[in-house]
Amino acid sequence: MRLVTAAVTFVALLAGGAAQKLPWQAADDAGGGGQQKVHFLYPQQATVAAGKAATVEMHFRINEGLHINSHAPLQKSLIRTELIEAEPQGVHIAAVDFPAGSDYAFPADPSQKLSVYSGEFVLRMHVTVGRGDHLLAGQLRYQACDDHTCFPPRNLPVSIDIVGN
Amino acid sequence: MKRTFLVLAAMVTAVVLMIAAGVINFEKRREAERARMQGAQLTLVPDNGQAGSSPSADDAAGGDMENASSLDGKVAPTFTLADLNGNKVSLANYKGRPLVVDFWATWCGPCKVEIPWFEKLHDQYAGQGLEILGVSTDDLDRDDPAKLFTQKRDIADFVSKMHMNYPVLLGEDAVEDKWGIDAMPTTFFIDRNGKIVASTIGLAPRDVIESDIRKAIASGQQESGVKLGAGL
Repeated sequence: MRLVTAAVTFVALLAGGAAQKLPWQAADDAGGGGQQKVHFLYPQQATVAAGKAATVEMHFRINEGLHINSHAPLQKSLIRTELIEAEPQGVHIAAVDFPAGSDYAFPADPSQKLSVYSGEFVLRMHVTVGRGDHLLAGQLRYQACDDHTCFPPRNLPVSIDIVGN
Repeated sequence: MKRTFLVLAAMVTAVVLMIAAGVINFEKRREAERARMQGAQLTLVPDNGQAGSSPSADDAAGGDMENASSLDGKVAPTFTLADLNGNKVSLANYKGRPLVVDFWATWCGPCKVEIPWFEKLHDQYAGQGLEILGVSTDDLDRDDPAKLFTQKRDIADFVSKMHMNYPVLLGEDAVEDKWGIDAMPTTFFIDRNGKIVASTIGLAPRDVIESDIRKAIASGQQESGVKLGAGL
């Protein structure tokens, strides 16, 4: 009987656990709650050859109907998208490549050309990593708008576990 | 022994079923996400240089928006903020006059469309006592004098370039929180008694803005008239 009770409890706990967010689903809300307009998709972990130059591709998604300025906006007053990374010991970030933006203009002001990202975009980070596990914790700074409204700049936490083999 | 075996077999089956359900669930979510992203592409305005085919700013403004502040119908929260010259400006100083308070930012594209409308409307309704206050929500590094100087200069340059003919104040987080500002532009239309009679979040059509200004002018006038009549 005790074994049967244990089995029922075990299955109930398992079912309860399945109803909650799984690790790869929870990553979508990392640090931003419902206020973030951009989400870090993946990778949570990257394995590269230790001591050799490598590239880590970071995938992001912008909420439907919104755009953010590219890394090279066409007007001085606009806030560009940036990756703010602190180099942990054993990691050297040589450069981060940002994609080119797409042309966009607000419907109410078609003469003002903007350079923006929408949908998904990928940043390529060039790194050299020492042997072992390294937690790279940074932030994506961006400023989002839709066709009629702009939202204050926000910082999205971005964490990647980089393993040098 | 046989019962133990059966229980263990049930547990193993349950675990296998849960893992299978998890994998199927994950695949379904991934498929749904992929489908959602395919339909989530932003519609960009064609950059064909044909001015004649472009919608007017008024047509393109958020005509169907229903965004309004939860402060509508309430007394406007008080504030005292500095202008670009460092002078303190209090909302209380404007009591008795219809007022527009517009929260904007230099990095806000729709705000640049709206600001020239306010300049013209300010002139148009000056005879009826209309006042407009612009509140810049640009970030200010108040602990770093060098950065603060540059940031204030950038705002002043923007104000000058846009020929803003009404006072511009430097926003503060506490004030923006109190007014519930999380999107730009956000505009409040306040009557002579300090009550918010309308608000717009995001770029509203020019005729909606003008209508809200008239509402602010009329609302205060009526109530003042009634009070005046009652006092006589």
